[in-house]
Amino acid sequence: MFLGTQRDSGPSTAQERIEAISQRLACPTCDGESVYESRSPGSQAIRQEITRQVADGVLADGQIVRMIDDSYAADLKLIPSATGFDALIWVLPVAAFVAAVGGLIIVFRRWRREGSLVATQEDQILVTQARQDKD
Amino acid sequence: MLAVSINAALGRGAILLGLLTCLSGVAVTIAGIRQHDLRALKSSARYAYVAFFAALLAFVMMERALITRDFSMKYVQQVGSRDTPAIFNVTALWSALEGSILLWLLVLTAFVAAVARKFRGRAGDELLAWAMVVMFVVGLFFFFLSFGPANPFTMGPLGVSDGPGPNPLLQNHILVLFHPPILYIGYVGFTVPFAFAMAALITGRVGEGWLLETRRWTLYAWGFLTVGIILGSWWSYEVLGWSGVWAWDPVENASFLPWLTGTAYLHSVLVQERRGMLRVWNLSLVIATFSLTILGTFLTRSGVINSVHAFSEGSVGPWLLGFFAAIVIVAIILIGRRGDELRSPGAIDSPISREGAFLANNVVFSAFAFVVLLGTVFPLIVEAVDNRRLVVGQPFFNRMTMPLGLTLLFLMAVAPVLPWRKASQEVLRDRLFWPAWCGVFSLAVAVFVGADGWAPLTAFAMGGFASGAALRQIVLASRRQGWRGVVGRANGGMVVHIGVIIIAVAFTASNSYTRTQEFVMNEGETVTFSGHSFTFEGLSLESDDVKTSVKAAVRIDGDQVYSPSRSKYVKQGMDIGTPSVKSGFVNDLYLTLEGTVRPDDTQARIKIFVKPLIMWLWIGGALMAIGTVLAAFPGKRRRPTAPVSAGLEESVQEVADHV
Repeated sequence: MFLGTQRDSGPSTAQERIEAISQRLACPTCDGESVYESRSPGSQAIRQEITRQVADGVLADGQIVRMIDDSYAADLKLIPSATGFDALIWVLPVAAFVAAVGGLIIVFRRWRREGSLVATQEDQILVTQARQDKD
Repeated sequence: MLAVSINAALGRGAILLGLLTCLSGVAVTIAGIRQHDLRALKSSARYAYVAFFAALLAFVMMERALITRDFSMKYVQQVGSRDTPAIFNVTALWSALEGSILLWLLVLTAFVAAVARKFRGRAGDELLAWAMVVMFVVGLFFFFLSFGPANPFTMGPLGVSDGPGPNPLLQNHILVLFHPPILYIGYVGFTVPFAFAMAALITGRVGEGWLLETRRWTLYAWGFLTVGIILGSWWSYEVLGWSGVWAWDPVENASFLPWLTGTAYLHSVLVQERRGMLRVWNLSLVIATFSLTILGTFLTRSGVINSVHAFSEGSVGPWLLGFFAAIVIVAIILIGRRGDELRSPGAIDSPISREGAFLANNVVFSAFAFVVLLGTVFPLIVEAVDNRRLVVGQPFFNRMTMPLGLTLLFLMAVAPVLPWRKASQEVLRDRLFWPAWCGVFSLAVAVFVGADGWAPLTAFAMGGFASGAALRQIVLASRRQGWRGVVGRANGGMVVHIGVIIIAVAFTASNSYTRTQEFVMNEGETVTFSGHSFTFEGLSLESDDVKTSVKAAVRIDGDQVYSPSRSKYVKQGMDIGTPSVKSGFVNDLYLTLEGTVRPDDTQARIKIFVKPLIMWLWIGGALMAIGTVLAAFPGKRRRPTAPVSAGLEESVQEVADHV
């Protein structure tokens, strides 16, 4: 398995850059697929545009994503933006996680304050009986 | 003509029989509970068997209709074809909505019948009786769906003598035969623990009894769901041609959500069994797991969410949503009613303890499930609130789940070595010594062979750390118990952990270090990429009744020839690419034929993916399945009166001292 954890020799190919960019854009015509996954004509057209832009070498990856997204009426970005209503998708998980961890801390503190239960006389009789049964 | 009426009439009759049987089962069992009538309670098993018979008959009739190509039926007109190979005629049953509900019914009623058979000697037990009632209600709902909104036995227009067959993607790999049924066994299997949880709430027997009754049922359901998910990933890899195994598609997420909550439950249940704590939490997790199977079915079968393999037709959506809402409301009312009875008698002494780690594990699994659920339904929310289309894809899920995955790997390393109640610093130092070294060793080797990127390196280090902890437990247990050192819940669980770790490492490597290049190659041309040579030897044409395929012959490393292809499915008019994969323990060489090709072309566009460690995903999955079976195997039983923590601690320490 260790042999598979190495990054192969050689620089990243232009194709790999194209693949990485196409993973950030949704197919404009199909159901919930990225341009990377889809083989539809709409995705092929976007892939060709990405290929052109990568070959030109002028724009950075994020700029290519924005340019293609702007040229379509629908929102093609697969990563929701961190502003406006879409920001909720980033904020809610973090808030929920912080609340859960905070809740755990409070519960642990309460448990520590209350301490473990003290055995009642009834409990002790039960234990004695169990031990006698064992013997 | 006679065969037509037999398939539809018997199928419809079977569904009606199942519906009435479940309805009677509910009525008779509740009456039996109310009147303490043992005979009535005993008869509920018979209702379970009849419901199973009804579902089986309906299933067989639909298969018969598909195999004999009974085109008088609407469903066969939709998914059947005279040209489809026999095996895919069988699998066509679950290739669309109505048939998949039939499969659900068959699995569900099989579980109900199996529960009735297993507990046949305890018909008078109120907990069992209420569990049967709950399962009959679930059965009733699905028989109703099949009888009304998703009726597969309706007649189609007259004069149709052929159909398009299943979606081409569902008739080009043998895994279509195994993946859906196995996934359904897992998915539907969670009905059993759910039914017992509801029964515990109804009867007020909220102690550990219902957990113990359903321990193996839950484990088997989880195991099947795991294998089903892995097989689905394998199918995706072998068929879809984008070289990935997991796309965070809504249908994939729908199967993953109950897996996440189910996994959390399998861990937290141990805390309740050992310490009598987390009662509400465990009940909530079981109910959430079952509810998520219904919610997932709603999301993917109602057409509200677009997915490459969702079924968007039919009117089952509102019914599924209503059923989901009913489950949640009833569960909340029941939990609220039991209030004080659910209060745990003890407390967790220290966060640095086994139960503390399980609690942390549950928080992370819940957060994971929340992220996946939110990412899946967020496009719906945006559309409802903002009236615009949004697609939440792989980059969001990868970014959000990666830290959670790494945290889970860390907890997998630490939790198995922690004692119950409290861990001293010496114990921690002693027990984490070798696992920590395994982590350091893994990191060092990964860096040495050229791995980079902080996330993959952290994953490899955590993987080594966690596998060290799992191996430590297996070694200690095997020294103490011999061959029994790998069976039982704790030890089998460690085998599952190793499987998970292997998958995590393989998934990280394949996601981070895949190499890709597309080549336009002339016949006879050889290219070299990532240390391998690829020779394009030409195109060939193959055709049968279903499709016409153009195959490219590519010789890899001067050895064997691999043939990625593009197929045109005659009836659907769909053009589907099929990859060809040379699998290896280190790398897979994944080839696809791109663009439009004609068999007389002398040039072809071949895309090559070099994907590391893919085979280890399947090996890890197999280990998880084996570990699940080992975990279900009875381990060494502790005397009920033995002190639950000290006994084990002492014996483990004893062995540790000898090491």
